[in-house]
Amino acid sequence: MAKSEYLTEYDGIVKTMQMYIDGSKQGKSVLMRPAFHPDASFFGYAGEQLAVGTQFLFDWIDKNGPAPKIEPRVVSVDILESIAVVRLEVAGWSGNLAGSGVRMSDLFTLLRTPSGWKIIQKAFHWHA
Amino acid sequence: MRSQLNGAASGIVFRGGFGMPERNTPQKTLESWKQIAGYLDRSERTVRRWEASEGLPVHRREHEKQDTVFAYRHEIEVWSRLRTKCPREISIDEAESLPPLKPATNAYLIEHDAITRTMHCYIAGARAGDGDLMRPAFHPSATISGYCQGVEYSGPVEHVFQWITENGPAPNINPRFARIEIIESIAVVHLEVQRWSGRLAGANARASDVFTLLKWNGEWKITHKLFHWHDQ
Repeated sequence: MAKSEYLTEYDGIVKTMQMYIDGSKQGKSVLMRPAFHPDASFFGYAGEQLAVGTQFLFDWIDKNGPAPKIEPRVVSVDILESIAVVRLEVAGWSGNLAGSGVRMSDLFTLLRTPSGWKIIQKAFHWHA
Repeated sequence: MRSQLNGAASGIVFRGGFGMPERNTPQKTLESWKQIAGYLDRSERTVRRWEASEGLPVHRREHEKQDTVFAYRHEIEVWSRLRTKCPREISIDEAESLPPLKPATNAYLIEHDAITRTMHCYIAGARAGDGDLMRPAFHPSATISGYCQGVEYSGPVEHVFQWITENGPAPNINPRFARIEIIESIAVVHLEVQRWSGRLAGANARASDVFTLLKWNGEWKITHKLFHWHDQ
């Protein structure tokens, strides 16, 4: 991949990730839904319970409400032509469900589509 | 397609013709190294080595004392059948990324070895052209997505098993672990596979795969396979 081409794709991925971050911060799933592919999946443990499906995520975000102090860090972006992996570390989670000062590690896989990069899966680990 | 894990061996005719003794015991699981060794008619030392070096499918129980193991007879039979079919390719190709013979004691390496064992189950199925062989590597709700010849595709993991079986054997695939990253209960594996072949793959194809895994009931399972077939 040529350098300029890489930067274009990188910027597209970061733009998609920003929708996820904005939705998380404001507690509004409607802001992050466009970042997700219609067939996206979602996996991870919320306490002892295995949470599966993007609907679980969207409901959680809406019920959790605003989390104004989250500190998201994009730790890595790995692009392989039409697919990509993003590792996001989010410190300072708060809200109705998150409690306070919670840290989350996320692995997003993305697919490049005609309407931009879309999250096809989010896997998370909630650091207790 | 058979849809249940326990159905994996249902279509397999196994009569001990590959050096395996016949057993009349009705149980579906082997509950210790001793039982696994007895079933394969080998020493415990040998079957432990086979687990480490040749992907013998042995499972561990979490929250119990270390080294509490069990195995499903149908998985052992499928493994044995494959091993007998092409033992040379497996021993040579898989030697590249073998887990150490001595079990790891470092916590990170234990998880790393468990993840590569799961991935070797996928690789073994891909090589043999047997979708059922790789089924234990996946979470039941796993999905797949990616691009093939420029066409976007996404669907249930069952489609992978169907594709692998329809594709048939790909004895020369050359898999490389480009990256393994573990974050406590989740992990990502970037696998680069060269020299794909078969009825659907064509000849000498190359694929980049990104697998997301989840530690589930004490075992690492693939929850998503993301793929990109490179233009030839």
